Amino acid sequence: MARNSHEKRAERQWLLILLPSLVLLLAFVIYPAIYSVYLSFTNEALTGAAALRPRFVGFRNYTRLFNDAKFWNALFVTFVFVIGSAVIGQFVLGLISAMALRRPIRFRRLFSSIILLPNAAPEVVAGFMWISMLAGGENATLSRIVSFFGVTPADWLQVFPLSMIIIVNTWRGIATAMILLTAGLSTIPAEIYEAARMDGATPSQMFRRITLPLMMPTILLYMLISAVSTIAVFGLVYALTRGGPGGATEVVSIYIYNQSFTAFQLGYGAAVAVVALVISLILGIAYVRAMKVEV
Amino acid sequence: MAVVSPSESANKGRSDLIAYATLSLISIFCAVPFFWVLLASFDGNAQLFLHWPEQWTLANYVRVFSKEDGAKWLFNSLFVVGSATLLVMVLSGLGGYALSRTRAWWKLPFLYAILLIRVLPPTALVVPLYKFLLTLNNAEAAVLRPVFGSYARDIMRWTGFIDGYLGLILVLATMQLPLALWIMKTFFDGLPRDYEEAALMDGATLVQRIRRVLIPLALPGLAAAGLFAFMSAWGDFLLPLIFLSSPELQTLPLGLFRAFLRINEIDYGLLTALAFIYLLPAVVAFGFARRFLVQTLSGGVKG
Repeated sequence: MARNSHEKRAERQWLLILLPSLVLLLAFVIYPAIYSVYLSFTNEALTGAAALRPRFVGFRNYTRLFNDAKFWNALFVTFVFVIGSAVIGQFVLGLISAMALRRPIRFRRLFSSIILLPNAAPEVVAGFMWISMLAGGENATLSRIVSFFGVTPADWLQVFPLSMIIIVNTWRGIATAMILLTAGLSTIPAEIYEAARMDGATPSQMFRRITLPLMMPTILLYMLISAVSTIAVFGLVYALTRGGPGGATEVVSIYIYNQSFTAFQLGYGAAVAVVALVISLILGIAYVRAMKVEV
Repeated sequence: MAVVSPSESANKGRSDLIAYATLSLISIFCAVPFFWVLLASFDGNAQLFLHWPEQWTLANYVRVFSKEDGAKWLFNSLFVVGSATLLVMVLSGLGGYALSRTRAWWKLPFLYAILLIRVLPPTALVVPLYKFLLTLNNAEAAVLRPVFGSYARDIMRWTGFIDGYLGLILVLATMQLPLALWIMKTFFDGLPRDYEEAALMDGATLVQRIRRVLIPLALPGLAAAGLFAFMSAWGDFLLPLIFLSSPELQTLPLGLFRAFLRINEIDYGLLTALAFIYLLPAVVAFGFARRFLVQTLSGGVKG
């Protein structure tokens, strides 16, 4: 009995130690998330009459969302951005890097260091680097490189804006994909490949029949993590295009920012934010469930 | 040991060649954008596009610290991100320890909840955060003004929630907390309890146990948590963009961004020198974190 109450006191002690973290998370993440839902039902604005006396407007922001072509555009652009950079670009290049680095070749550390480098570049610096690569028409670094191969130079960010931000975000995320997929690859026992080789399997057969199926849990986790983090990308796109030209790269995070801090419509911006929160939460719950399976 | 037949070794050589070729291509793709910042910052005649400097110079770096506000931006960034990192290390050290040792019912729900918190996009939280911080700020000002009079403004610069450092530090730290808590919890899970139990036997209090036994043992974990917190807070652009407006409070990413917005008169030498200074701590931290990075991300895979 005495021991039991002692244990209870000890457990309370642990909660007390955790309390400062809990308070910060409640104040600066949970409360804003809930407040965001509340704001989305008001006509709150940053300036003007609504800023002084915001009113409850029910579902008006949401019905407006439904008819807002720019909102649907933002969702579509985000979808293409996530599929293009996270699901395809980073995944394919990350997987190729991970598989190539499995071979006992020289300069492995050097190669992997270079591939990790883009991930270290702060968003704004990464944006400027790529403006240097892409902007300036004939003078742009990329134009000079590709004109060697007979490709006509262009103002890449103007002509192919969405493709360009997909390429830049791919560049930035190869490292994460590589590290995660390397970890996944390392869990496949080498004996399986040996046995398959004995049976005369070709490398592509081994990839399709062994590597891919055994990597599926890792790939699923990777897809969820990278989708979630790509939806959150803001600074990189903001530095590169600020959503332009003409909304071509206006991903949801840029749209929220523009609605709230350029158009000053906090209530409406909050409605868009709630949609982003819900999508992220659904992906996040899938991620936590996928992890649970592996625990 | 199987005997390697000639055809098999030729096959192996070819696969190695393919590995070299693909890794070289991907490495070039990854490295080339860096060259502009590197070369232009030492170029007396820097341009937007990549070119080999005709006259090498350190003048750009001298100008960053003498004529421009580079030194101020660097100091502001180091102060804000450094404080946030320290806060994360202290809180995640304590919280991670509690999460590792407790057997209470709330442990698992809490661990999953903070994973979900990490998933929420900061852009979606920033408007309500701004409004909340504004409320806190007004409340603080209402208390400080009658007491400190004209000095209240100077105090608010450091302790304000909007356009002051305190709010930015707290929010930056909070955003890094979930990952840090997971790192520290996993780290303490790997520490044997023998030391603590021995200290407990000797009659040490909890505070004594933490200070004499746990902190020394926890240093590698704290270093990892601190490095990750530093790296993402250092690179963050959104939060200072929203929360800071006074020129004297600007941090490096903002100073850099505003320098780039001076259309028609962008000084690329200055800009790239500033970018290089901003890049350096991030790359150094990344170099140190490399080992932990593999562990943390792959640890995430295994749960």
